[in-house]
Amino acid sequence: MPLTRAILWIVAIILVAGVAVTRFLANSETVPAAGGVSQSSSRLAELLGSQRLEGFPLATAPRVFSFPQDHGPHSEYRNEWWYLTGNLDNQDGRRYGYELTIFRFSLVPAPPGESEKAPSSAWKTNQVYIAHFAVTDEADNKFYVAQKYSRGAMGLAGAQADPFKVWIDDWSIQENPDEVTNLPPEETWELTASGDGFSLMLNLASIKPAVLNGTAGLSQKSAQAGNASYYYSIPRLRSAGSLQIGDTEHSVTGLSWLDREWSSSALADDQQGWDWFALQLSDGSDLMFYNIRKTDGTQDRHSAGTFIFADGTSQHLDRDDVVLTVTDQWQSPQGAFYPARWNIELPDFDLRLSVSPVISNQELVTTVRYWEGAVDVVGRRGGQALTGRGYVELTGY
Amino acid sequence: MTTALSRASLGYLLRHPWQLALALLGICIGVAVMVAVDLAVESSRKAFELSMDTLTGAATHQVIGGPRGVSETLYTRLRVEHGIDRIAPVVEGRVEIGGTPVHLMGVDLFAERQFRVFSLDVENDPGSTDLDTEALFSRILTDPNAVLMSRQIAGKLGLGVNDRFEVRSAGGYFEGELLGIVGGDASASAGELIIVDIAVAQEWLGKAGWLSRIDVNIPQEDATLRHAIEASLPAGTQLLEASGRTQSLTEMSTAFMTNLSAMSLLALLVGLFLIYNSVSFAVLQRRGLIGVLRALGVTRQQIFTLILSEGVVLGLLGAIAGVMLGIWLGDYLLVLVSRSINDLYFRVSVTAVTVSPFSVAKGLLAGLGATLVSAAIPAIEAASYAPRLALSRSVIEQRSRRIVPLIALMGLCLGLLALLLLRVSGSNLVAGLSAVFLLILGFALCVPISVRVASAILAPLANRLGGTSARLAVSGIGANLSRTGVAIVALAVAVSATIGVSVMVESFRGSVSDWLDRTLQSDLYIAAPGGSLDAPLIAQLTGTAGVEAFSTSRRIWLESPEGRIRLIAIQLAAGRHPRLELLDAGPNEVWPAFEAGEVVLVSEPFAYRSGFVAGDSITLITNAGNREFLVGGTYRSYDVNAGAVLISRAAYDLFWDDPEIDSIGLFLAPDARADDVAERLRTTLQVHPQVVMRSNVEIRDLSLKVFDRTFIITDVLYWLATGVAFIGILGAMLALQMERARELAVLRALGMTPWQLGGMVTAQTATIGLLSGLAAVPLGLIMAWVLIDVINRRAFGWQMDIQVSWQVLAVAIGFSVGAALLAGIYPAWRAASSPPALAMREE
Repeated sequence: MPLTRAILWIVAIILVAGVAVTRFLANSETVPAAGGVSQSSSRLAELLGSQRLEGFPLATAPRVFSFPQDHGPHSEYRNEWWYLTGNLDNQDGRRYGYELTIFRFSLVPAPPGESEKAPSSAWKTNQVYIAHFAVTDEADNKFYVAQKYSRGAMGLAGAQADPFKVWIDDWSIQENPDEVTNLPPEETWELTASGDGFSLMLNLASIKPAVLNGTAGLSQKSAQAGNASYYYSIPRLRSAGSLQIGDTEHSVTGLSWLDREWSSSALADDQQGWDWFALQLSDGSDLMFYNIRKTDGTQDRHSAGTFIFADGTSQHLDRDDVVLTVTDQWQSPQGAFYPARWNIELPDFDLRLSVSPVISNQELVTTVRYWEGAVDVVGRRGGQALTGRGYVELTGY
Repeated sequence: MTTALSRASLGYLLRHPWQLALALLGICIGVAVMVAVDLAVESSRKAFELSMDTLTGAATHQVIGGPRGVSETLYTRLRVEHGIDRIAPVVEGRVEIGGTPVHLMGVDLFAERQFRVFSLDVENDPGSTDLDTEALFSRILTDPNAVLMSRQIAGKLGLGVNDRFEVRSAGGYFEGELLGIVGGDASASAGELIIVDIAVAQEWLGKAGWLSRIDVNIPQEDATLRHAIEASLPAGTQLLEASGRTQSLTEMSTAFMTNLSAMSLLALLVGLFLIYNSVSFAVLQRRGLIGVLRALGVTRQQIFTLILSEGVVLGLLGAIAGVMLGIWLGDYLLVLVSRSINDLYFRVSVTAVTVSPFSVAKGLLAGLGATLVSAAIPAIEAASYAPRLALSRSVIEQRSRRIVPLIALMGLCLGLLALLLLRVSGSNLVAGLSAVFLLILGFALCVPISVRVASAILAPLANRLGGTSARLAVSGIGANLSRTGVAIVALAVAVSATIGVSVMVESFRGSVSDWLDRTLQSDLYIAAPGGSLDAPLIAQLTGTAGVEAFSTSRRIWLESPEGRIRLIAIQLAAGRHPRLELLDAGPNEVWPAFEAGEVVLVSEPFAYRSGFVAGDSITLITNAGNREFLVGGTYRSYDVNAGAVLISRAAYDLFWDDPEIDSIGLFLAPDARADDVAERLRTTLQVHPQVVMRSNVEIRDLSLKVFDRTFIITDVLYWLATGVAFIGILGAMLALQMERARELAVLRALGMTPWQLGGMVTAQTATIGLLSGLAAVPLGLIMAWVLIDVINRRAFGWQMDIQVSWQVLAVAIGFSVGAALLAGIYPAWRAASSPPALAMREE
C-alpha cells in the first residue's frame, strides 16, 4: 500500500487542511461532494505542484528501523500517520469494526524560530494533527464517525517515542504502563477515542512483530526517485476493551492492525486513488495489498503488497503477484460509486479470497471523503477453506 | 358635497402656498430631527452589539481568569485531560497600526471554527488570489507576520493584500503583513478587528503563557458539561455566561445612548410645537371660509371631518418627507455618535445608517399624530362656532383668553407632578426623563399667561418709549395670544434646551477638569499602553536624577456579581496621599487604612449603582477564590467604566499573583528642572519604543479633548433643536402678520407710514424674542439641574457641581431676540410694503 496510499494520503491531508481552512473561512456547510474526485485530483495536482516539497527530506534510500523510536514522530518529513483498524466482537458475538487514524503533517520544513523581541509563544508550530475515528456496528447497520484537528503544540496534540504516545485532545494511542512486560510482544498499548455518542477504549498487544513493507521498509510510490515513503505494519494486535454506543457499554475483543507511514512525497499527476486491503486470515497468515488506480482507470504498476506468514516472516508482493477483481459496486449517499466486493487471487500462494464489506455504508464524509470499512473474507488456500476479517480503504472515488 | 368641500380645502391651500409650505416644512423638520437621532443612536447601538457578537461568536460561556488572564495550560488540560472540545482560546488586546488603534484578536483556527466564522473575501480582491486558501492557512499558522483584516479596516488603514506595515503593541514594534481580507457575513461585524494566529497575538501583546479568555459553547445549557468545566477550573478562574459579559459592556453604553435619546425627544418636543403651530394656523386662517361653509349649511360633523382629513394628508406628506430627510441627516449624526462611543467605550465602526422600520414608523406616527392633534383642537373649535361667529377672529381670542388661566393651572399641576415623580422614582432613568418632559410641558403651558401679563405690563412702558406704534406692537402680543403664545413657547423651549445643555456641559467640564487636577498629581506619567513596565526599567526610571518619589498603578478587570469591575491597584508615593475627593470619609483616617491594606475605596459611579457605602464589604475574586474586602469610602470619579475599586498595592500583591505594573507616576524634586528630567527619562526610554511618557498637563489636555469631542453630538443636537425653533418662529411671525394684514392696513389708512408700520412689526417680533428668551432662562436652568442631578447621575452615577455663567444666559437671550428679529424681517417688509387698499379688500 505504501506508495499510493502515501501519495493519496498526502493529498488527502493537504486537502483536509485546505478544505478545513476553506470551510471555516468560507462557512460552507457542504464538503465538495459529487464530482469531488476529479476536483480533488486537479486541486491536488495544483497543490502538490512545485515548491511545496522544497526543504523536506525525501525517502530515497532504505533505512534502519528501530523500535520503539520509530513508533514516534518523524517531524522533519512532511506527513506521517498512525493508522489503527480492527475487528471486534462483544460478549454476545455482535460484530464491530473501528478505525482510529492520527495524521501528522508539517506545514513548512522548519519549525518556527524563537521570537527576538518578545517571549516566545508556546503555540508556535509547523505541526498539524488531524484524526478520524469511526465505528461500524453490523447488527444495527450503523456507521459512526468523528474527526479532530489540532496544532501540534501546547500539548494539545503530538507524538513521542518513549514512552510511546500519539494524541490529539483526549484521543490517544499510548504505551500502557500497567501492561508493559519484557516478554515479547513488546507493544502493549492503550487506545482511547470518543465521538458524539460513541467511544472506545482498547488494550492492544502485538502478537506479530512489525513488518517492513516495500523494500526493507522503503515503499516506492512512483517511478520518480524520492517519491516513496517509509512504511511498516504491525499486522496483528490482540485487542480487548470496551466500546460504548449510546448508553450501552460492550466489552469487546478482537484483532487490530497498525499501519505506520511517513514521507514527503506527492501523488503523481496520473494517479487517481487507491484500494488498500489489510486482511487477517484464519490460518494465521495476513495479507496487505494496495492497488493504485491511474486516472485512465488502469492499475498503476507500483501497486504492491506484503504477505505475512503465521510465524511473522513476510514476503513482498508485486503487482503481478496479485490478481484483483471487483465483483460488485455500491453507490454512496454522496453519489460516488465504490467497489463493494472483490476477488483476490495470489497464484503463487494458491490463495483465492472473496472479500465483502460488513455493511455497505462505511463512507467517511469528513473534510476528505473516503470509504474505510470492516470486511469479511472467505476463501481457500491450497485445498483448505479459510475465513478472515480485515479492513479496506477506498480513496479517490 | 364631500368632493366640493375637498376642492374648497385644496383650493384654499393652493391659493396660500406659503401656509401650505410652512405647515409641511414644520411637520417635515419635526419628524426629521426625531428620526435622524433615533436612527443614529439605533445604528450605533446595533454596530456595538454586532461587534460584541463577533467577539463572543457562538460562545455561550467564557472562562475568565485573574489579572493576567487564563493560564494557557488550563486550555490544554480541559481538552486533553477532560476531553472538553467545545472550547477555543482567545488572546486579544489593542495594538496600533499607523497610529490607529485597532482590536487585535488572536485565535486558534482549529478550535475557532466552532465559534466565529470568518469567510475569506477573495472575489473582490484579485491581489489575494495568488495565495490559495490552503497556502494561506499554512501561512497564518507559521508566518509570524500574518494578519487578516476586514475590508473596512484595511481600507481605513490604506492597506492592500501583501502590504507590510508596522504594528505597535505592548510587546514593542512588530512587522505585520496583510495576507487576506476577511469578508462575507463576518465582515460587517468584524469591524475594527484584525485577526492573527494565537501565537502571534501572544508575542505581540507580550502575553506568552496567557490567554485572555477561553470561549465555551455549552449546547442548550448542558448541565453536565457546565459542571465538568466548573469542576476542572482552578481557584481564581470562573465560568461566566457570555451574554452577561456582553451585557455589562452594553449597559454602560446604554446610559450614553439614553442620554442621546433624551436629546432626540427634546428635538421632538420642539418639533411638536412647530407642527402644532403651523397646522393650527392653517386651520385658523380659514375661519372665514369655515363660517361661509357653515352658513351654506355644511354640518359641524362635515367641517370637523374635512379639517381632520386635511390633517391626515398634510401629516402624511410632511412625515414622509421628514423621514427621508431624517435618514439623510442620520448619516451625519451617526459619525458623531459612533465617535463618542469609540472614545468612551469600545471601538465600533459604523459606515451606514441601518434604517429600522421601527424608527421610521415611530417618526411617521409621531408626525401624523402631532398633526392630527394640532388640527383637531382648532377643528373642534371651528366646528363648534355658530356660522356667524366663525367669521370673527376676536371671538377666538376671547375664548383663548378665557382658557389661558386654566391652561396655566394645568401647567402648574404638570410641574408639580414632575417634581413628585423625581422624588419618588429613585434612580430610574426613564422616570427621570419623563419628569423632564412633564416639567417642560408644564412650563410651556404657563407661558401664555405670563406673556399676557408681561405684555400688559410692558405696553405702558413701550408707549412711553416708542409712542403708540410701540404700544400697539407690545399689546398686540397679548391680544393675539393664540398665535404668539405658541410661537413664544416653541422658541422658549428651544432656547432653554441650549441653556440647559450648555450649563450641563460647562458644569460637567469644570468638574472633570477639577477632578483631573486632583487625580493627576504626579509631574510625569510613564506607561506601556496595553502592556506592562518591567521591574528593571522602573528601577532605572525612578532612579533618574531629579525624581523624588513615584507611585505605581495596575488596572485590571474583575468579574463580580455587580458586573465587571475595574480594579486599580496603586502604590502611593512615599509620604503623599492622593488628593482624590472622598465623599463619605475623612482623608486622614482613610489613607493610612488604605495603605495598610485594610480597606478598599470605591468610585462614585460604582457606589451609586451598587449601593456600596463606607463600612460595607465587597466580594472580589482573587487568586484564592472569592474574598471580602471592607469598603473604606467613596471617591469622586468620572471614569466612564461602570465600577472602579481602588486597592493598595500591598493588598493586591497579597491576593493576586500579578507582579505587573501598567504605569508609574513620577514626582520631581522641587529644585529639579522638569525639562532636564524629562530629557534624561526620554533617553532611557529610547530603547523602549512601546513605553509612553506624558506630563500631567498633556494627559489633562488629552482627556479634556476627548471630553469635548464626546459632547460635539450634544452641540449638534441643540443646534438642530434651535433650527427647528427658528423655523417655528418664522412661521408664527408670518402667520401673525398676515392675519393682521387688514388690521395693519387700517393703521396705514389711518396715516401710519410704511416705516412706522415696519418698525412696529419689528418691535413686536423683538419683544416676542425677548419674552421667549426670558422665559427660557428659568426653564433652561431647571433643565440643566435635571440633566446634571437627575439624568447624568442616574445614567452614569456622576455627580457634579452646577456652574452657571452669565455668558450662557446672555447668549441665549441674545439668540432668542436675534432669531425673532430675523424671522420678523419678511413679515415687517411685507406689512410695510403692501398697499392698504389691497390688504383691506382681502376680506
